[in-house]
Amino acid sequence: MRLSFDDGTLLLEDAPEDVPYAQYDDRVDEFRAQAQHYSDIREWATESDGQATLEESTATVAEFEDDARAYSEFYFTPSVAIEPRDYQQEALSAWRDNNRCGSVILPTGSGKTFLAVQAIADAGVSTLVVVPTIDLMNQWHATLTNAFGDQLPDGVGVLGGGSHNVTDITVTTYDSAYRYINEYGDQFGLLVVDEVHHLPAPTYQQIPEMTIAPYRLGLTATYERADGAHEELEDLLGTVVYREEVDELAGDYLSEYETIHLQVDLTVDEGEEYNEEYQIYRDYVDSHEFDLWKERGYQEFLKRTSYDPQGRRALIAKQRAEKIARTATKKLDTLDNLLKRHHDDRTIIFTANNEFAYEISQEFVVPCITHQTETEERTEILERFRMGEYSMLATSQVLDEGIDVPAANVGIILSGSASKRQYAQRLGRILRPTDDRQPARLYEIIAEDTMETYVSEQRRQGVSASADS
Amino acid sequence: MLTADLARSRTYEGTITPLFIDADEQQYRDTAEKLIRIFEEHLGEPKGELEDTIDQLTIADTDYKIVQGLAKLLKDECEFETVAPVEPQEIRQALFEKANGSYPIVRQPTLGEDTQKLEVYSSVADQLGITLEECYRGMYADLEENKRLVRFGHRVSDEYENADDSTTTTRLTGDSEESYAEDTITVDWLLTRYNLALAQAVLYDATEMRVRVWDSFATVFSYVKLFGLMHRIYPVDSNGNRVASTDVADGYEAILDGAASLFSKSRKYGIRMANFLPALPLCDRWEMEADILDGEGGSTGGTLSFELDYTDDLSSHYSAQSDFDSDVERTLAQKWERANTDWELIREDDVLDLGAEVMLPDFALEHPDGRRVIFEIVGFWTPEYLDEKLSKIREADRDNLIVAVSERLDCSSEDFEGMDDRVLWFKSGIHVYDVVELAAEYAVEVSPPQ
Repeated sequence: MRLSFDDGTLLLEDAPEDVPYAQYDDRVDEFRAQAQHYSDIREWATESDGQATLEESTATVAEFEDDARAYSEFYFTPSVAIEPRDYQQEALSAWRDNNRCGSVILPTGSGKTFLAVQAIADAGVSTLVVVPTIDLMNQWHATLTNAFGDQLPDGVGVLGGGSHNVTDITVTTYDSAYRYINEYGDQFGLLVVDEVHHLPAPTYQQIPEMTIAPYRLGLTATYERADGAHEELEDLLGTVVYREEVDELAGDYLSEYETIHLQVDLTVDEGEEYNEEYQIYRDYVDSHEFDLWKERGYQEFLKRTSYDPQGRRALIAKQRAEKIARTATKKLDTLDNLLKRHHDDRTIIFTANNEFAYEISQEFVVPCITHQTETEERTEILERFRMGEYSMLATSQVLDEGIDVPAANVGIILSGSASKRQYAQRLGRILRPTDDRQPARLYEIIAEDTMETYVSEQRRQGVSASADS
Repeated sequence: MLTADLARSRTYEGTITPLFIDADEQQYRDTAEKLIRIFEEHLGEPKGELEDTIDQLTIADTDYKIVQGLAKLLKDECEFETVAPVEPQEIRQALFEKANGSYPIVRQPTLGEDTQKLEVYSSVADQLGITLEECYRGMYADLEENKRLVRFGHRVSDEYENADDSTTTTRLTGDSEESYAEDTITVDWLLTRYNLALAQAVLYDATEMRVRVWDSFATVFSYVKLFGLMHRIYPVDSNGNRVASTDVADGYEAILDGAASLFSKSRKYGIRMANFLPALPLCDRWEMEADILDGEGGSTGGTLSFELDYTDDLSSHYSAQSDFDSDVERTLAQKWERANTDWELIREDDVLDLGAEVMLPDFALEHPDGRRVIFEIVGFWTPEYLDEKLSKIREADRDNLIVAVSERLDCSSEDFEGMDDRVLWFKSGIHVYDVVELAAEYAVEVSPPQ
């Protein structure tokens, strides 16, 4: 029997009738199996041929040829100075004892990435790390480069977000993995899936199905899904091998900070254009009965914009008004003052869109990270910020969920969306006082008498509400 | 091709239909013309400005999906490049390093020691040997919206042409595997392409495609292979009903999917089917049915049926296979014209399903009395090609297959074990009457005399 990797599946040429995990493929008149059964089939084929049953000559597979595996083994030690914490060590052992398969449930902020680094070193094989977003892909790339970069001749690979560079340790997004797994599914011995609760979907579950990786590790803080689909994860990655509840990890992840709200006026021209556009939007909305402050009302409005030309115009008007408020010229003047005051601090400037981030980058000659920044450059900028080579950073919304931003003691929000959770997370992340005498500071600059005033109000309520609960 | 968000279709009672536009309708012709002009006018300009101009067209237009869809197809014909004298990343890095020692960099200096951005930019410009403007604009010249439109269809930006004389410009088509017929971008070209793209977009969620074709077999199956689709092939008659053998076939039905379709309904191959679709309008007569997964439900969700055929007035931008693979074949066909024989020579009339591969023998020979043979020529090829050809011939295992083999090839009658008497060896050209003689001997009767 000859085993080969064929477009995301295993082709079993000259296989005996009783070969397990396989189905007869009448298109090519051979047996075929899902790639995920690679190690099972291999075990079945070599066991009967090899040691135990040798004298019985009941060898299921007389000649077994494995052309499927294309991944390499290597031995490296992660260059990480920190000792694994107890629960990380326990999680790693539990995973190792389960034939290096299964999922680990750890709360957010408890070092899932660090655990994965340990697992990669432990398995000692080529590894594919699959993550939900480009932001997370960038973050993982930075961490893995930190840990293994020196030991990989071609560095840590990136597949997705415009990069197509596959190496022995590669990070990719769910979407790119789904798209390319049939090409690369034979090149990795370990599959690490971050935020693994997203995996049970008809498309994404083909990622584990189409890879031969004998070792698999799923990571998440929220394993259970309301639809029960997490049960499918057992077949795809293995059982849950370790679970650490939130309460058991005491720690102060949110630090003390001081918030200062600054309001700026629109210029006369901006004000006129703002009012004009805002009025178009307002008139349209008022002439229809949308309850815009509710999710459904807004959906209703959006739906109308797809067939009603006036609605379409109203949507554009709203977007234009928002943009005027977001990029108000006087915000730059206020920013100017803040940068004067804080030029000796470590400052991160947040904007809600790429355009404004680049404008600030050019205006104040500040390094800038957006969705468009390529992974390698992003890793480099963050590293320089960490090392103190850069003391300022401008960014659009990319430093959100699950990202460890190097410590800064001043945050400046030039605009943002109204999502409560997003806002709270941002605060928690950026604001670590760099020295004990001085509290961290967060500035929020908003345009007066615009929709932003409302959004900001809503946002503050969100934070205090979550602090109460 | 269109992105999924630009797809337009309607579902009704288990079927899905693309919302084709009428290419004769004036409003669409106007839009298409306007768009083409915008692209032409933006040659040499930044992509961001091009996109802003296109967006202006959609402000109070609920057809914005059509406008953006048309624009997407035009963008596929474009090439955008970073235009800067020094790598933008190098410029940025130099600027940030310089700036970090100079903060605060302010707009309104209040203290004597405050730096202004101009000082940073000019000092870095000097350091890199570029002008101040090049430094400022080059800093982010590699951003998507700052890249310049250097080629639109056949038209190349003048500036770009002069600056880049020595090197040939690589054509970036977005889908590099497709082989395009050379076209000039016109209103008709765009609207025709748009309708095809709408049909392709429906196929993104396809799990299986069934096609029936009655001509251009070699072309169709070469595209099946090019796009990595797997097949099951059935010979059919003129009504599309399956028949026993390729000898009595008028056309072929092919069921197309991919390797993992064996285990579950997978939409993974939808994109390949979408890529394949333009091969069908190269046929005079064709039909297509596809199963389309409805919504996110996957294998548990519903399946919609999508049907198209040659009456849908789609046209292809792919190239058809040229008539003959080799001079030997062409010469034989010419000789056949002049020869006095009842046997009719038909090119590539049989599609033999060899599992992972197909074999299309070069010719079939049909006699009015109902006898038929298939005929393969093994001409001048590389050793690898010869091996593949020989194994295909053996695998085809057809009683009425005869073969002409060049004596110049490194093979002998042993390579045709069991069928060596069906081989005609030739030196430089093939003689019609030698073929006729062999045909008479091995032909099988497939239909009653006509």
